Parts: sequence; C-alpha cells; structure tokens
Amino acid sequence: MNGFAIVWQERALFLEGLWNTVSLVVAAIAISVPLSALGAVVLVEAPRPVARLARALIDLTRCVPFLLLAYVIYYGLPQLGLRFDAWWAGLVTMTLYNAAYLAEIFRSAWLALPKEGFEAARAYGFRPATLYRRIVLPQIAYASAPLVGGQIIVMIKDSALLMIITVREISFAANSINANYFTPFAPFVVAIGMYWMLSLIVEAWVRRVASGARLRYG
Amino acid sequence: MADAAPAVSARLVCKQFDGIEVLRDVSLDVAKGSTACIVGPSGSGKSTFLRCVNWLEQPTTGQILLNGAPMGVVPSPKGGTRPMTAKELALARTRVSMVFQHFALWPHLTVLGNVIEAPVHVLGRPRDEAVEDARRLLARVGLEAKADAFPHTLSGGQKQRVAISRALAMKPEVLLFDEPTSALDPEMVGEVLEVMRDLAKEGMTMMVVTHEMAFARDVADTIAFFDAGRVIETGDPKAFFTAPQTDRARRFLTRYGI
Amino acid sequence: MTWAAFETLLTGAGTTVALSLAGLAIGVPLGLALALIRWARIPVADQLVATYVSLVRATPLLTFVLFVFFVLPTMGLELDPVPAAIVTLALNTAPFNCEIWRAGLTNFPRDQLEAAEACGMTRTLAFRRIVAPQLWRVCLGPLVSEMTILLKATPAVAVIGVVEITRAASRIGAATYDPLPPFLAATVIYTLLIAVIVQAQRVIEALIARRYGYAAP
Ligand SMILES: Nc1ncnc2c1ncn2[C@@H]1O[C@H](COP(=O)(O)OP(=O)(O)OP(=O)(O)O)[C@@H](O)[C@H]1O
Ligand SMILES: [Mg+2]
Repeated sequence: MNGFAIVWQERALFLEGLWNTVSLVVAAIAISVPLSALGAVVLVEAPRPVARLARALIDLTRCVPFLLLAYVIYYGLPQLGLRFDAWWAGLVTMTLYNAAYLAEIFRSAWLALPKEGFEAARAYGFRPATLYRRIVLPQIAYASAPLVGGQIIVMIKDSALLMIITVREISFAANSINANYFTPFAPFVVAIGMYWMLSLIVEAWVRRVASGARLRYG
Repeated sequence: MADAAPAVSARLVCKQFDGIEVLRDVSLDVAKGSTACIVGPSGSGKSTFLRCVNWLEQPTTGQILLNGAPMGVVPSPKGGTRPMTAKELALARTRVSMVFQHFALWPHLTVLGNVIEAPVHVLGRPRDEAVEDARRLLARVGLEAKADAFPHTLSGGQKQRVAISRALAMKPEVLLFDEPTSALDPEMVGEVLEVMRDLAKEGMTMMVVTHEMAFARDVADTIAFFDAGRVIETGDPKAFFTAPQTDRARRFLTRYGI
Repeated sequence: MTWAAFETLLTGAGTTVALSLAGLAIGVPLGLALALIRWARIPVADQLVATYVSLVRATPLLTFVLFVFFVLPTMGLELDPVPAAIVTLALNTAPFNCEIWRAGLTNFPRDQLEAAEACGMTRTLAFRRIVAPQLWRVCLGPLVSEMTILLKATPAVAVIGVVEITRAASRIGAATYDPLPPFLAATVIYTLLIAVIVQAQRVIEALIARRYGYAAP
C-alpha cells in the first residue's frame, strides 16, 4: 500500500501528534514568557545575591541538553515524590528550558535599549510600574521579537525529543507508523512538512512584528 | 594620437540608480599630469562620477577613456562594443588607483602588507621588489617606521597616508581621491593635503573630490563644479573662485566664505 | 553510582565529543560552500540552497535522524547508527553554519572590497586574499555558539540507538533505579565540555584582538 495512503488512514494519530506538539508549544510559551520576563527583571534589578543565584540557575539550564532535562523531570523527580504524566513532564521541561533562554534574550535586549528614553519618562513623572508597562516592555518586545521567534522554532524542534519520554507528538506518530507498516518515507516527510509549516508560521509572525518595529524605529 | 589624448576623458556619462538619474551628460577631460578638483554640494553625484572612472559604478550610458582607451568595454571587431570580462576589467583597473574617504585599509594586513598586496598578487611583481618599492613610498609619506604596524594602531592621517602609498604602489596612470580628508580630525588634514600637493607638483594625474576649497584653489589645474548630477562649470580655478559664472556656484562658494 | 557506571558515562561523553567533532568537520566547510553559492548568486543552486536551509532549520534533529536512518536504506543507502548520526549532524549543522558564513560575507565592509576591486583584484582573488583571512575571525563567535548547540543536540541520535552521554545516563538510571545521580553527573560533564569550548573561544578572540585590534570589524 502506498505510504501516503497509510498516513491518510492513520491521520487521527498524526492529528493527535500535531495537537500535542502545538498545545505543548503554546502552553509553554504562555507560561515561559512571563516567567522569563520576571527572570530578566531579577537578573537586571534584583539585589546581588538573588541575581547571582538566578544567573547560576539560568546558565546551568542553558548548559544541559533538552533531553537530559526531560529525563530528570520525567524519571528523576518521581524519586523526590513529584510525579507527572508524560505530557505534563513535557510541558514542565519545555517551560523551564525555554524560560532560561528567553530570560537571557530579554535581558540583553533590555540592556541594549537606549537609556535616554527611560530618563525622559522619569523626567515626565512616570512611576516605575507605568514606566515598565508603557515604555520599557514594548521596546523590549520589539527589540527581541526576532530572537524570540528563533527560540520558539527551537522549542518546536525540541518538542520532538519528548517522543523519547513517550509523549505522543508529531515525530511519535511518524515513528509509530514507520514501525507498524515499515514505510518510513511518507510518515517522516509528512512530519517534516508539519514542522516546516509551523516554523513558517512563526517566521511570518516575526516578519509582521519586525515591520511594526521598522515603522517605529526606521 | 594616443599621446595627445587626455589622461581621463569622460564623455556624456549618465548614471541612473533604479531609474533615478544621478549623473546627466557629464563630460570632463583631465590632461596628463594635471589635477582636477571636483566640488559641489552633497548628493550632487561627485562620488558616483569618480567611481564611474574606474568602473566601480557602470555608467548607464556614455564613455570613459583612459589615455584614449575605453574603460569597461572592449570595441568588438564587428563594430560596437562588449563589456569587459572580469579579468579584463581587473587589469584595466590597475591603471587607475583610488583613495577612499574612510581609508579602506585591510585590517588583517600590516601597513607594508597593505601596500604590497596588490602589486604582488594582482600585478605579479616579485615580492622583494614590491617591498623595496613600498618602503620607499612609505618613507616619502613619513611612515617608514610604521611598516610593520597594523592599521588599527595608526591615526586617521597616518591611515590615509598609508592608503595613498598603497595607491601609488600600483604605479597608476591616474589617481582618484574621494574626499580623502573628510573623515579626518582637523589637525590631521594638513599632513594628507601636503602629500597630495607634492604628488601634484611631481606631475601625477589626479582627480580629487574635495570640500577643501583652499586646496582646490591652490593645487587644481581644473575645477569641475557639480550640481544635481551635472557639471555646470568647468575651468581655471582662479576664475571659478573669484568670478563664478553661475548663481548656484556663487551660492555654493558663499557657504565656504569665499 | 559505581565506578563502572561512571566509566559508561565517560564513554558516552567520548561518543558525544567524537560525534560533534565529526559533524563539525563536515558541517562547517559544507556550510561555507553553501554560503559561497548563495553569495555568488549562482542561479538555481542559490534557490536550492535557500530551500534546503529553510527546510532543515525547521526540522527537529530527532526527526531528521530517523529520516536518514530509516529512509536512506529504502533508497539503497544502508547506514549503521553511528555513520547515520554523523551524516545527520553534519547535514543538520551545515545550514546554520551557512547562515553564519553568509552573514559574515554580506556584512563584510564594502569599502575594503571596493579597495580590492579598485586595485584590480578579481572577485576570487579578493575573496582569497582579503575576505577569507578576516571572515573566519568574524564568524568565530557565532560558529562556536553553533558548536555548543550541536553538542547539546547530540542526544537526539540516541533514538537510533547511539549511546552518548544522556542515553548512557538514562541506562544507568534505569539499571540502578536511582536516576538522579547519573543525570547530575551528566549535567556536570556537559557543563565542563561547554565551558572548555567557550574558554577556548575567549582565548582565541583575545589573541586576535591583541594582534589586529578587533575581533570583528
Ligand atoms: N548605490 C546607490 N544606489 C542608489 N542611489 C545612490 C547610490 N549611490 C549614490 N546614490 C545617489 O546618488 C546621488 C549622488 O550621490 P553621490 O554619493 O555621488 O553624491 P556626492 O556628490 O558624492 O555627495 P557627498 O558630497 O555627500 O559625498 C545621491 O542622491 C545618492 O543618494
Ligand atoms: Mg561623496
């Protein structure tokens, strides 16, 4: 039987995979963006010892492979009495892992911003909360959008590794069809096509933000 | 007669960038051994014209002749012309050297390395000979002691003097300068102009785009005044600076307090 | 954790390093070749490279290695797990390296190239004498980052049965029912490896800066 016909026949498996990949990525973004923004604030503004601790944690996370962190959370944490099922372990891994990278992205975007604008805002009587909300954060968002987009694509790709801890995502679907029907070509081409499509969507989003940034910053 | 031909002759040079006209019917002759200074307001096309002379920009229409030989194109036997191949163009460019506003030294090579790079690797001169030549050229701009230094350790004026040595090392027929002192601190402008003055005296053929009006008045044999992509005045510097013919030139000179 | 377990981990570390180095040895020059094709705007080849880059940049290494391991044999190219892993790592890192080299090429100071052209250098000669000696210095930093990314990406090849650090750690954990110590040891090994790479980069950049006064023009 034609490989693509088999994929079509098993489309439920692929759709489940797509759903799991997308839901994991979206949920991880939704949690890790605020978490990492907080992390960036800690890195830049917190008292010395706290900032040091945050820096050490972030650097440590950035040193290990995604899969290792996934193993620690899925197989290691139950030892300490924390048990997740595969999807939740995947979400925790993706959130923590990406928060570390995003915090670093936000921090450097922040430090690279021209300081005059902040001073002007203070001179106009902005209070800290308003200053962050109206002046600092929007600029960080624009400045870091391309890197955040890149990180989201990395996140999508990392999610494939969750197959190894039995999350039923896209690559899991492709691999199980390959294992059951011995037709590797079609399922993997479809899987790669799905990943490609997802990252093209992210790139299109980055382009839109970038054109908004060009409008403002030239 | 090739010998009577001007060193550089631009004939009705036009240049467009994406349909926008930047040069229009520019014609200019530079006699052998003379210095032509090109002046005019910003954006008037001076750099573009200079870059057309060594084909860094291709004129949209018109001709550049170097000592009578066309630049950038080769007359074909059947009549008409064809564009030069990359090799032919590279060879033709060795006859004209250029000094850039921002020096454009190669930072990975020493001062000496910069000067001998093209003679050795483009002209194929023996290295010893090129080195000897380079040391002589560096000595005449007062930089023999810096031969083994890297460009980043030099001052702006020193960098530009190295760039001039590099240009001279090619033994060019014509030397082009695009605002060679504009990127320099005021106290370094003098040392570079001094070198250029000497070159003019020795009979080097030079085309100089500059905003140094005093230099242009003293050194130039010809002035060409550019405005909005056209040459609207050419001729003797004395006449140009004391009695400009056009309103535009008068207004331009007023800004320099002339 | 026993000494034998620790030895297993170290063997895994050796595999990780060897795989990464082999991937780099092929991927970095391949990336340069791809970048040059795009830089020279060779028609058709240019578009093909652009598509390849876009596709691979979007494909997870895990999916890619499964593809290479299972699909190539159906086309008559049988590869053992280790060669398949090396081929995949190389093909996977090449597009990223291509983009790094290409950025270095397109951002190369134009005035230096013009000065070369004005001296009568052809494009090839200018590349060889002026661009190449400076290019690798500009690209060093990003290439090293890419190197650390490759190192951290290698666990994906575990899926076709190659035993590198992470896989070794999980095996030990499964055998001893005590997974945290081997994971911790693996973390330390990765951190050390990355620290070594980053430190080497710092030293090289300092040497460049001392000699030429800049690390990137
Ligand atoms: N590569 C290019 N593409 C498009 N337009 C260009 C390009 N180079 C120059 N121009 C345009 O051509 C016009 C003439 O530029 P040019 O650099 O020759 O002026 P200039 O007389 O040298 O000015 P300046 O004194 O400021 O150096 C300008 O309007 C400029 O914007
Ligand atoms: Mg100019």
